[in-house]
Amino acid sequence: MAAPTKAERKACWGARDEFWQCLDSHGDDAAKCEKLRRAFESRCPQQWVKHFDKRRDFLKYKKKLETEGYSPPEAAGKA
Amino acid sequence: MLRSLRPIPQLCPRLCPPGPCPARCQPRRRLAVPPGAPRLPLWQRLCVAGAVAGAAAAGWLYVRHEKERQQRSRRLQQLRRLALGQGDFQLRDTAGAARSKADFLGRWVLLYFGFTHCPDVCPEELEKLSRAVELLERDPALPPLQPLFVTVDPERDDAAALERYLRDFHPRLLGLTGTPEQVRAAASAFRVYVSAGPRDADGDYVVDHSVLTFLVDPDGVFRDCYGRSRTAEEVARRLSHSRNGHLIAPSVPRNGLG
Repeated sequence: MAAPTKAERKACWGARDEFWQCLDSHGDDAAKCEKLRRAFESRCPQQWVKHFDKRRDFLKYKKKLETEGYSPPEAAGKA
Repeated sequence: MLRSLRPIPQLCPRLCPPGPCPARCQPRRRLAVPPGAPRLPLWQRLCVAGAVAGAAAAGWLYVRHEKERQQRSRRLQQLRRLALGQGDFQLRDTAGAARSKADFLGRWVLLYFGFTHCPDVCPEELEKLSRAVELLERDPALPPLQPLFVTVDPERDDAAALERYLRDFHPRLLGLTGTPEQVRAAASAFRVYVSAGPRDADGDYVVDHSVLTFLVDPDGVFRDCYGRSRTAEEVARRLSHSRNGHLIAPSVPRNGLG
């Protein structure tokens, strides 16, 4: 399986950006963006879809840290 | 004023005898200005003081500059001694020719480790690298610059795959690949982290790796590295600085390295 060409990369990134814009405007409600999600998955290799999903999670977490600050997770055996 | 600064021979004993001191033992204020003597105006005295301070500052700056220059030169000599035999690689380019670091001596090398199935990072970094090389090529005085791409995915990235991939970037960007052992050795020579991820149903996978562009000088000495946060303009600027620093220390003769 050959690596995506430049045109294929651009198409994938475009589909990803549209999907993410949809999520941003619908408060991360994936149900509202089904069509764009399917377009995104069809234009990008599966590995890239996974990679970009993880990236999105990371970017949201980073934004959360920047706006809300860091709060350590509640530990089970807290003193 | 100068008259009053001349040393006056001590004609009197330190302790005057009791009673009023003889006239010649009257304590004299040596620096007292006799009435009527001309004084330099205030602004002239400030100018003199300013000039002295300026000269002292200039002297200090010069000494500091010289010291820094010597430190840089010493550091470069040390790096050169370390470089011999280090940061080397045995790979093949896209034409199939064997390549090692020695083949690129005499040129500034910008070296990036990546793979063709990379989702976003490698294309972005290669765009940046290409743009930096273009910026630097505008300077006619610049010695030859060689951009290199070394794959961290030798299983899929053979010569043909690399050539296809690199066509989209700078025309002189040269791809290097090899056996898994050779690629592993090259990555470890540059302390580059490489870790192939799990394969999916199609056998596709991504390779996690350090994202760095390395700068190697014409003597094969590692000089700098640029990460994700550097723009193309910053890379070009830092390379120019390194090049200017390189001109300070003379090169080692290349006879023994051919």
